[in-house]
Amino acid sequence: MSATTSGTLDAKSSSMWSSDHGHDVISTKTLGFWLYMLSDAMMFTALFAAYAVLGHAFNAAGGPWGRAVAHDGVAFRETFWLFASVLAYGLAMMALKKGNRGGVLLGIAASLVIALGFLAVDSHEVLALFRMGALPERSGFLSAFFTLVFYHGLHVVVGIAWMLVMLVQVASAGLTEKVVYRLLNLRLFWHFQAVMWVFMFTFLYLRGAIV
Amino acid sequence: MTHTTDNAWEHPEVQLAGNGYVVAFVVGLVLMGLSLWIVRGHMFAPTGTAAAISALAAVAALVQCVLLLHMTVSRTQVWQTVALVLFIPLFALTIGLTSWMFHGLYRRTMLMPATHVAAPATATPARAD
Repeated sequence: MSATTSGTLDAKSSSMWSSDHGHDVISTKTLGFWLYMLSDAMMFTALFAAYAVLGHAFNAAGGPWGRAVAHDGVAFRETFWLFASVLAYGLAMMALKKGNRGGVLLGIAASLVIALGFLAVDSHEVLALFRMGALPERSGFLSAFFTLVFYHGLHVVVGIAWMLVMLVQVASAGLTEKVVYRLLNLRLFWHFQAVMWVFMFTFLYLRGAIV
Repeated sequence: MTHTTDNAWEHPEVQLAGNGYVVAFVVGLVLMGLSLWIVRGHMFAPTGTAAAISALAAVAALVQCVLLLHMTVSRTQVWQTVALVLFIPLFALTIGLTSWMFHGLYRRTMLMPATHVAAPATATPARAD
């Protein structure tokens, strides 16, 4: 290859850099963001491990534990809100597929409103637990429990803020390449919350209700 | 080098979207509802219930990974799938080994009440410590 012998890399002639070889901005940025989401999932992994360790009765230190803290009915309502929000964002992506800007705006707005519904149920539940004296500092069990709940809630808050930004960008800039890759990254972020919620629902709330 | 297209939404990554989202919503809710029903109805002994809801969670997560996150072996998605498949052992090992270590610690330090866990099957020989 002439590029190697002359000591300079000629981007135009090297086959490595040919533009029809899958080297496009949207694919590259999406893969990069997915790797970031997996490292975020490692954070969840660590918190689930801490909860598995601190979930035993004696780590409740005589405080509230089990069914008194993990309300499976409320958690199922939250499941419905979160999955519905994820579905609404999916419908926005189906509108994006056709280049339908109004449909994208409508889908994201619906997803955002439903996510606020999730957050309302979530914070209502947390405040009810606080009022009955189940505070994060009460015991090791409650620290692990609330850390997971807050960490997941933080993701929902970030997702809502991101949706607000994307509503503005789609409305002002249209479906440009930059806006499209950001919409794809938000899709990964938001849909990944549904997968994490499956584990939250099962191992935090249902597991707590069995014991 | 920038891959310029007039219609960025025609990118294959965007074109993955489809009715699978509706299916994922329905299947996810049904599986989680089934888990709730198993727990509420006390269908099995606690160990059996834990195994059943864990299995349902695994199925729900798998369905969502395929239908929502598009983890397939197609040309556009294969590297994302590889990254996820390599992540799963890290997820299982971190949680599994951590709880195994602490479960053993709890038994051996007798912190855990006898009702929650059986004593070690074989009596641990006395150590000179």
